[in-house]
Amino acid sequence: MRKYLVLASIVLTTAVVAYVTTYLGALGPLGLDTRYLAKLFLANTYNPAHRELTAMSPEAVTSIVWDFRGIDTLYETVVFYMAIIAALAIYRGVSYSNVRRGSGLSLIVKVVTKLLIPINIAVAVSIAAHGHLTPGGGFQAGAALAVVSVLLAVVYSAHSFVELGVNLSRAVALRSAGLLAIALVVFTPIVISALTGTQAYLMQNYVKVDSAFSFPAHVQSQLISGTLIWFNLAEFLAVSFGFFIIFMLLSLREEVVREWVGKEDEH
Amino acid sequence: MSTSFLENFLITLTLYNILATAGISLYGIVTRPSVTKKIISLTILGDTFNVLAIFIGFRVFSVPPVLLDLDGSVEKLTTFATSAVDPLPQALVLTAIVIGLAVNLFLIFLALQMYRLYGTLDSRRIRELRG
Repeated sequence: MRKYLVLASIVLTTAVVAYVTTYLGALGPLGLDTRYLAKLFLANTYNPAHRELTAMSPEAVTSIVWDFRGIDTLYETVVFYMAIIAALAIYRGVSYSNVRRGSGLSLIVKVVTKLLIPINIAVAVSIAAHGHLTPGGGFQAGAALAVVSVLLAVVYSAHSFVELGVNLSRAVALRSAGLLAIALVVFTPIVISALTGTQAYLMQNYVKVDSAFSFPAHVQSQLISGTLIWFNLAEFLAVSFGFFIIFMLLSLREEVVREWVGKEDEH
Repeated sequence: MSTSFLENFLITLTLYNILATAGISLYGIVTRPSVTKKIISLTILGDTFNVLAIFIGFRVFSVPPVLLDLDGSVEKLTTFATSAVDPLPQALVLTAIVIGLAVNLFLIFLALQMYRLYGTLDSRRIRELRG
């Protein structure tokens, strides 16, 4: 009873304070104008007239994420990478080889899942490949594909990973391939410019005032927005297999892990 | 264009709701003895601040930050730049979500390991354990 009284008093206090604040106009007038910085980003997200400033992507959020503030996203990828390394370190020595075959859920659920998985993969790839044109991108696509691993573990049991040939080291290898692809796109301007005797910046997308290097914005009149599509696809690979690793570890049977924890204690 | 009293009230109410949720989740992190509940509270706190960031970038009478006409005309770009919501908080929130997820994953694995080693997730009992 006390719990509900506290909850009701919080709701009521919030509503009353909000009403009084609005009535007195204490927060001042609502800002209806867009901020200067936002205008700058919005005006340059797709602006063929200013090639040294634009990201050539109609999606302003992806432009900021992978071009205007690209280094931020690079560090974010590193943090996510470190979290998975930490999870792998905690589970060091745990092997997927002695996972027993489980019966999984009913036949109806299995058939429906079998139909859903290809659709899920198609949606994920589409979110990644259109990330520079519509809302979405590598991370969102990776999270969408991660659903496949959860479906596999829940509906078909963790043994389905072994049957499909997805083991932990392969997932780590695919994830590392995604991260290497990101590094490749980051360093390409520097390497090519060094070979041609000019200069360029890390993560450079198009020509700058003092650098002529530029990724192609179009491929046969199809907009690919320079580095953005490559970053999205590489991040998609890295994030989806990162999630695969996490869900593979979390879907291990408790006895398997406990057996390993016991062995660790002996040392 | 100006906003009505009801619109102003609803926007203010959203702001106070966000602040109240942040307060409740902070209370949860500090007072709940269960590590699982601490992690849940931390997730709610992180999401609350993400909503606050999006709320700061929101503009009444605005459109999403996706350009629909790609002919590159100055008029259309100017209209887009003055009518779309602020895309920067959205991009920062995207980064914050990923980092929050990484932190949560790490905490969940630590909590799992803690349970396997100590047999409890009650922080009061874990504190009493020695060795």
